[in-house]
Amino acid sequence: MARKMLVDGDLNQTNNEGAEYDFDLFVIGAGSGGVRAARFSANYGAKVGICELPFHPISSEVIGGVGGTCVIRGCVPKKILVYGATFGGEIEDARNYGWEVNEKLDFNWKKLLQKKTDEINRLNGIYKRLLSNASVKLLEGEGKIVGPNKVEVTQPDGTKLSYSAKHILIATGSRAHRPPIPGQELAITSDEALSLDDLPKRAVVFGGGYIAVEFASIWRGLGATVDLFYRKELPLRGFDDEMRAVVARNLEGRGIKLHPQTNLMELVKTDNGIKVITDHGGELIADVVLFATGRLPNTKRLNLEAVGVEIDKTGAVKVDEYSRTNIPSIWAVGDVTNRMNLTPVALMEGTCFATTVFGGESSKPDYRNIPCAVFSIPPLSIVGLSEEEAIEQVNGDVLVFTSTFNPMKNTVSGRQEKTIMKLVVDAETDKVLGASMCGPDAPEIMQGIAVALKCGATKAQFDSTVGIHPSAAEEFVTMRSVSRRVTARGKAKTNL
Amino acid sequence: MATTSFTAPKLSSPTFQTLCRNLPLSLPIPKTLSSFSFHLSPFLSRFHLHHHHPTPRFHPRRLFAVRAESENGAEPLRHYDFDLFTIGAGSGGVRASRFAANFGASVAVCELPFSTISSETTGGVGGTCVLRGCVPKKLMVYASKYSHEFDESNGFGWKYDTEPKHDWSTLMANKNAELQRLTGIYKNILNKAGVTLIEGRGKIVDPHTVDVDGKLYTARHILISVGGRPFIPDIPGSEYAIDSDAALDLPSKPEKVAIVGGGYIALEFAGIFNGLTSEVHVFIRQKKVLRGFDEEIRDFVGEQMALRGIQFHTEESPQAIVKSADGSLSLKTNKGTTEGFSHIMFATGRRPNTKNLGLESVGVKINKNGAIEVDEYSRTTVPSIWAVGDVTDRINLTPVALMEGAALAKTLFQNEPTKPDYRAVPSAVFSQPPIGQVGLTEEQAIKEYGDIDVYTANFRPLKATLSGLPDRIFMKLIVCAKTNKVIGLHMCGEDSAEIAQGFAVAVKAGLTKVDFDATVGIHPTSAEEFVTMRTPTRKIRQSSESQVYHSFSVLCIDTCSLICLIFSNLITENHWS
Repeated sequence: MARKMLVDGDLNQTNNEGAEYDFDLFVIGAGSGGVRAARFSANYGAKVGICELPFHPISSEVIGGVGGTCVIRGCVPKKILVYGATFGGEIEDARNYGWEVNEKLDFNWKKLLQKKTDEINRLNGIYKRLLSNASVKLLEGEGKIVGPNKVEVTQPDGTKLSYSAKHILIATGSRAHRPPIPGQELAITSDEALSLDDLPKRAVVFGGGYIAVEFASIWRGLGATVDLFYRKELPLRGFDDEMRAVVARNLEGRGIKLHPQTNLMELVKTDNGIKVITDHGGELIADVVLFATGRLPNTKRLNLEAVGVEIDKTGAVKVDEYSRTNIPSIWAVGDVTNRMNLTPVALMEGTCFATTVFGGESSKPDYRNIPCAVFSIPPLSIVGLSEEEAIEQVNGDVLVFTSTFNPMKNTVSGRQEKTIMKLVVDAETDKVLGASMCGPDAPEIMQGIAVALKCGATKAQFDSTVGIHPSAAEEFVTMRSVSRRVTARGKAKTNL
Repeated sequence: MATTSFTAPKLSSPTFQTLCRNLPLSLPIPKTLSSFSFHLSPFLSRFHLHHHHPTPRFHPRRLFAVRAESENGAEPLRHYDFDLFTIGAGSGGVRASRFAANFGASVAVCELPFSTISSETTGGVGGTCVLRGCVPKKLMVYASKYSHEFDESNGFGWKYDTEPKHDWSTLMANKNAELQRLTGIYKNILNKAGVTLIEGRGKIVDPHTVDVDGKLYTARHILISVGGRPFIPDIPGSEYAIDSDAALDLPSKPEKVAIVGGGYIALEFAGIFNGLTSEVHVFIRQKKVLRGFDEEIRDFVGEQMALRGIQFHTEESPQAIVKSADGSLSLKTNKGTTEGFSHIMFATGRRPNTKNLGLESVGVKINKNGAIEVDEYSRTTVPSIWAVGDVTDRINLTPVALMEGAALAKTLFQNEPTKPDYRAVPSAVFSQPPIGQVGLTEEQAIKEYGDIDVYTANFRPLKATLSGLPDRIFMKLIVCAKTNKVIGLHMCGEDSAEIAQGFAVAVKAGLTKVDFDATVGIHPTSAEEFVTMRTPTRKIRQSSESQVYHSFSVLCIDTCSLICLIFSNLITENHWS
């Protein structure tokens, strides 16, 4: 273990004292953040154990699975369904390109579902192998913290195992939450939505966040009638307002019925389906009602009170910049900390944790300029500040460059759907503070832009980059004239 | 048309050219002398703009100045019909003309009548890109991609009672309607910018005069932006071959097509015809397609295209085309004869359109390929004549022609001498799967930098795991070992062209691998692979000697990257253990 000696920093010196602990690190939860932290810690020479609940597509207090939300109930299955649903629009578009396709198409939901499940099983296996290849000991069961350095794992057969660990990492993620309205048990969450036995003909989605618009797009693309209800004027609160309006328009353009500023009051079971009653007095019947109204951290059954790990009012574990809780030997990463709930962020937090604790190098996750995507159809992707955030945060003037255009593919397909792109620039420094795009391939396009933004690229550097022709992405480097300038003085007025 | 005098013969004297070329661009000019100096430098031609509305007070003085310089062999002040006359309204010509007009110049542009097939007498506003290149090609790529998408969709649960069939005439009609719309838009753009559009064939008569079908126009500056045209080598039966112009506008689907050539045009058409269900054979002279591209990309794209049903015939040079009695074509090569083609397409390069432009008579130098020789500012050997775009055969891409055109307008009419910057120009090949790239190939990088780290990823994308198709994605980052700068980025696979653009900004800005690593991924995308490549696939060092030197210099310059190096090694070791 010469290497371990080399890389272990002073944080880990007691390790040399020998078999004081069963593990250097015990991780509760084998999702994106937990697996990353476990593997990297093991690579630094730490002895690592990890526990995870038994596998099933639908999560509960006692069901989970190696891979976590992202792989089993999030990003991956969602993206698979988005791919499946995108073909709906693609096939329509093919006609004007000369393809003769039957008017009525057959879509076999069960086949897609089966293939999705196969893929998730495959990935679940890959994650298990990743752990075993890194020599991380994987235990199936529910983990509880019983002391600052003590973990208890209840196995599926009820037997309890107890382990001591120098460090404990909580990476239990989060679960969908249902608003407590009458009949809420009739609704489903995104977990079930990814594993429905039948494709709904009439779907109601409640929520305005990214999960809501993604499922609305999926079901609509696969042929269902979709009604989307949300409380605000526009979906996707927190995103750039102009982009939100474009997403709303596109959802409508694709045939989703929007019900802004509308709450669901009650669900009633009828012979015909689920009756949905809104606060506007409206009623409609649906086969499926999806609640996409937020997620809550999985902290209830961890026994955190017993050791005094602090949680906030939403139930999220409180951590410092290094992902450390108020108990020095207990750490937390990923959705359970409710910082920025994205897989790559959990990965970053897990990596930084491993580097800090076992790599001998203090490493803080950097939350600036983190790109993200909403896989609506068409998708939205952003990095950096929205126009509103930039106006609020920048002292001087803000320059806004926008481009709205008909993508080339639509010129022949006849699809009436514009792509929109936006760059927000600090007038004084010329730095690009934010980029956003709504249109086909937006998430793929945004990744490279994110590298540029992360490193403080200026508008001049964007302009000096030659375009790739013909692409949609080239618009980002050919925005010559400013769409509007928001002056510092104008902003002061707004702030009043 | 108040053209009066003709150009002084002295103008083309080498002395004058040298004078103009060597004139320091930032030469401080005393205010009182500014009117003397302005037209000495063709870069500073704002002077001329005043000429349209001369104030009486200035007029005599300027005339005096002119006379004085005339005697020194400089260009005489004279009235021109236009500040700029552009020959050719393609990407570069339209861009230069519009921008020049926006800067206040009076501009005319001439262009041949519209046709989908180019010739000595046909062209069309919009040029190759819009009418016979990027745009129709991409529309055909969109059309042809559907067959692959239908296959993919099967894996996602979609079923077609009858196999989707393609109707060629619908595609051609819709494509041509779009081209007509675009050529109209381009005309509008010129019109709105106040550029005079003249239909006809432009020919240079003297350094300041252009003849368009018998009418003479004078101009202070002439811009040649006539582009290039496909070239078919002269072999027996070459009259039966079609080029890319014709391939974009065939009256019916080619049942079995031979494509001769291994460049990007050949590969793009191979993908188009294959997707539109033709039988496709590609004949290339070399062992691999896409000479000049990164070797791994060349291998990868060839494999992927072959998996989609395209048949490659390597190391075969065309020798003759024979038409048989049934009308089908045979291609004879050094290796044998392949029969039964409905079409044989040559994608064997393009040549600049420099014939019959009057270049020889005015002394505009062209190189052996027929390309106009220009300096860094796109100026030809005749000081008043400039050239941009494919006719100069620098980097033959629309966005580069746009860059050259924009730079020229700034140089001539905004007092801001601007050189196009050819570093880190990204490009794409719309083969199926497509390629996107920016910066150096691995081979170029080794030559230029010696010590490099290469990161690669070759994976099956999420979509393919469901569709069951053998589609893969290949990605590559090339990093300078000494500076940690990303000097090359290559990708082949779905969305490559779109993905490469953003990274091109990063590469152009000179960002490092550490910067890439610091960027959080967008999950789940293909593009995120570019920011999650932790372990180099190989480290190339010129020699063990330089490796020692290298490690030492890293230690001195950047301890951080050394630490990263150790860590990545550790991770690799653990991977293998």
